[in-house]
Amino acid sequence: NSFILDDPDLKDIDPTVLKHCHAAAAMCILEAGKQNADISAISTCLEDCKLDKERIEQFCTEYQKNKDALEILLGSIGRSPLHITDVSWRLEYQIKNNQLHKTYQPSYLVTLNVENSDSGSHPDVSFSCTMEQLQDLVGKLKDAAKSLERATQM
Amino acid sequence: SIFLKALCAFFKGKLNISVDIIQHGVEGLMYLLTESSKLMISEVDFQDSINVLGFSDELNKSLLQLYLDNRKEIRSILGELAPRLPSYHSLEWRLDVQLASRSLRQQIKPAVTMKLHLNQNEDQTAQVLQTDPATLLHLIQQLEQALGEMKMNHCRRIVRNMK
Repeated sequence: NSFILDDPDLKDIDPTVLKHCHAAAAMCILEAGKQNADISAISTCLEDCKLDKERIEQFCTEYQKNKDALEILLGSIGRSPLHITDVSWRLEYQIKNNQLHKTYQPSYLVTLNVENSDSGSHPDVSFSCTMEQLQDLVGKLKDAAKSLERATQM
Repeated sequence: SIFLKALCAFFKGKLNISVDIIQHGVEGLMYLLTESSKLMISEVDFQDSINVLGFSDELNKSLLQLYLDNRKEIRSILGELAPRLPSYHSLEWRLDVQLASRSLRQQIKPAVTMKLHLNQNEDQTAQVLQTDPATLLHLIQQLEQALGEMKMNHCRRIVRNMK
């Protein structure tokens, strides 16, 4: 809100009125975005609010320009499970440990980078696996991808 | 069992067998078998090692048999003691399409929801994760590259030379 109150063009207007206008405009924009309203619906709504033609046109033009960004923003709000953003892996060959020598086994360490919908960051999910287990994992992911492809073709 | 026979053979001829001696005997046997299994020493090396103890031939033979019979299981138990990260158990997945939310109606947002089952020290954990189609394809590509590495000459050479 401070960027509105500090704007030099608006300094002659009563701050309370400014706040109300800002809130009303924001609400209008968010509601229009939420409902995926088209221009004619927004125009009609603004006409009912007794705005003049020029202002309605200006508002709608600005709205159209930012509509996609608004949709993305609104779509990203909300709860969802931890979201995987990336994966890193490490291949190692185990030779020995203090309990057992001559182990001679390849082993993968996989780290899934995850994001929380609320706070953004979250400790990564790491796990080790054998080659067979990694093949199982990749196989299942490929099944999911194939299903997705089929679903998009329907 | 061979274990008891070896124990009795060891104590044959001793008149007063105190608890301490038996305990030391058992501990000695345990140490012998554990260390031998840990290092995976050959039959010849095992025999050479116990020869210095001055036991009878029959006892040496029993000890060797004891070692050979049990080393696989001992090694498998020792393997459980090593430091470990959670390990992969399995993965379940589900395709979802988000149609609406409180903030936005009329969506078509595909997502893959997964349940990753991991083992950690005898506990099994399940973590619910989600990803979008683009990231899913990226994950597959990266992990397939990882799998391919073992087949590369570099890795093959190392595996060959390590044994």
